[in-house]
Amino acid sequence: MGVGSLLLFGVNHKSAPVELRERLAISSAQLGDVTRSLLQVPGVHEAMIVSTCNRVELLVCPDGDAPDLMGFLNGFFAVDGSVLAPHVYEYREREAVRHLFRVASSLDSMVVGEPQILGQVKEAYTVAKSVGAVQSGLEKLLQNTFNVAKKVRNETEIGGSSVSIASIAVDLAEKIFGSLEKKKVFLVGAGEMSELAARHLVQRGASSIFVANRTHERAVRLAAEFGGHVIRFDDLYTSADRADIIITSTGSPTMIFSPEHGVQFMHRRRNQPMFFIDIAVPRDVDPEMNRVEGIFLYDIDDLQSVAASNQTGRAKEAEQAEAIIELEVERYQRQLNSRDAVPVIRELQQSVETMRQAELRRAEGRLRTLSAEPLSDAQWAAVESLTRGMMNKFLHPTLQAIKAAAAEGDTAKLELLRSTFDRKSAVYTSAHLSLAAIDSDSEPPQHLSSEEES
Amino acid sequence: MFLLWLRVAAVCYGIATVCALPAVLYCRRRWVKVFLPAAMAGFLFHFVSIAELLSEAHRWMPVGTREMQSLLALLIVGAFLLIWLRYRTVSFGMFALPLAFLLVLFPAIGLERYTFSSPLVRGGWIIVHVCALLAAYAALIFSLLASFLYLLQEKRLKDRERPSFLTWLPPLETMNQIGQRALVIGFHCMTVGLLIGSLLAQESVGPAYFRDPKVVLSFGMWLLYIGMLLVRRTTGLRGRRAVYWSSLVFLVMLSVWAANIFSSVHRFSVP
Repeated sequence: MGVGSLLLFGVNHKSAPVELRERLAISSAQLGDVTRSLLQVPGVHEAMIVSTCNRVELLVCPDGDAPDLMGFLNGFFAVDGSVLAPHVYEYREREAVRHLFRVASSLDSMVVGEPQILGQVKEAYTVAKSVGAVQSGLEKLLQNTFNVAKKVRNETEIGGSSVSIASIAVDLAEKIFGSLEKKKVFLVGAGEMSELAARHLVQRGASSIFVANRTHERAVRLAAEFGGHVIRFDDLYTSADRADIIITSTGSPTMIFSPEHGVQFMHRRRNQPMFFIDIAVPRDVDPEMNRVEGIFLYDIDDLQSVAASNQTGRAKEAEQAEAIIELEVERYQRQLNSRDAVPVIRELQQSVETMRQAELRRAEGRLRTLSAEPLSDAQWAAVESLTRGMMNKFLHPTLQAIKAAAAEGDTAKLELLRSTFDRKSAVYTSAHLSLAAIDSDSEPPQHLSSEEES
Repeated sequence: MFLLWLRVAAVCYGIATVCALPAVLYCRRRWVKVFLPAAMAGFLFHFVSIAELLSEAHRWMPVGTREMQSLLALLIVGAFLLIWLRYRTVSFGMFALPLAFLLVLFPAIGLERYTFSSPLVRGGWIIVHVCALLAAYAALIFSLLASFLYLLQEKRLKDRERPSFLTWLPPLETMNQIGQRALVIGFHCMTVGLLIGSLLAQESVGPAYFRDPKVVLSFGMWLLYIGMLLVRRTTGLRGRRAVYWSSLVFLVMLSVWAANIFSSVHRFSVP
């Protein structure tokens, strides 16, 4: 295993239960130290650790022998190898690249298309770079990874639709009100999910929160948490029209809001739209409310069906994303392979340049015998340019063949090209030596010149 | 040369029209990157073309159906670009650019040659009159469009159906604002246009101006416009009823346009 190799080792939500993942979890504060420790493992040349609630992955560029990453996890986290072994996966080279691209593009996430993972990979990269664990190998790979993730986001709709109830409620509110800046939210009942939805709405700019709950203390606590106002449950119908978004989640056995209430609200609001999110079971809002012009009502089933439809949409987009990743892995592999061509090309160019210089010296000697006047600088520059141009033109197809062989990973062909050239060089060198001997007496034999040109 | 610029503008509008579908319907950013520059380039070339045409002809007023079409197309694209600048929504481009492309198509083939019997067309005020009224028409088209889109989006949200081909629709509030502001701008433009037209006609035609069918219909449209604005403002009219009002005013607008055939006041040239 040489420099430029890649090894990815870890566990994720598919391979390991949460009990194991939490034992391996690394906090942001510890990440730098753990990465530094990983770098100390014999055989590790470059390293990075991605640690999230769903995965712990060690990405390593090995230096010589394969490093003992299982031993590192055993030692560092004090997790027995027999416990860990059935749950870890290991990817090498091309497979490791593919896995990393899939992780950063959120195709390997629990919720496919969630946007946080790219930020987490970037954070891992920043930390690894800050402790000196990232050099040219990982640098190139990670820059490619970020570009691929960006491409997947731009060219597919994988993250285009929400799949959680709270974020769907926010999306719908934005489809009604545009910006949620200065929008007022009324929480009727204080359920966990309504609280979560309200939190999402506040994050998107909703300004005022009103809370009404049959248990007054709970309403006060919730209002304090959001910096909102408590409304007495008895004042529900006189105050509800002040809110643009009403989230209901009471335990009431009967419906609280009827279409008649809706008509009154719309009249008082001068037809400004209202959005009812009814996440109570049994429902708090009469389904007929949705028929009132300007009022939009979504109950828990509606939200869940939107979530299901969005998940189906994401699955379709994921197929397209997989195709993009496949292409990008191929492209990255070609980039890596093309690096193998560099020394061969350099060697070839140096050898040919040596031949050219030798030929020039010979030509200079011959010219001196033909003319008493030496070549001027301008004439000599023209000869230089001519020979260099010819050399480049002759070399061009060979260089292209070398690059193509390297990009395809065809090491046999690459070696063949190299050896062919070495032979040529050897022929040239021996021929040149004999020529030098002849040249001192007479003109060079014609067949030798033609062999060199061929 | 102006014809060349107009043709370049038509090509740009054509490109923007082709890009509008994937850019708007499928929210493809790559297409938006072509769509918007094409629309902007088209607008610039179009503006240069009209300015050069008027400057070459030594008159301020576009005359004839094709020149009017061209100016209306310019105003529609201008209105779309303003909406994009203000609301960052390209949805309206799906309608504005194909409309502009169609409007510009015939003028780009060739404009009619006119000789002018009236010196009035060389006055600066007449272009203000014409542009203001055309801007009012463009604003009304956008307002009607916004009302229709509002209705579609409202139905989509009410029915809880999420057909993927309608995900591009802008939020209800955005469309309401666009519709409302277009109406207000259109009303001001129409008032200015009619006022200047009346004053100019008083000088050149006299009281006969007010018996002209186009003029009578224009004032009728202005009154309807006021009615619609008042109703919208006092009741917060939206949705279906807003579409009815806008459609009514739009129909009157079409009849005003058609009334050119019967108008004696609006004839300045012989083709």
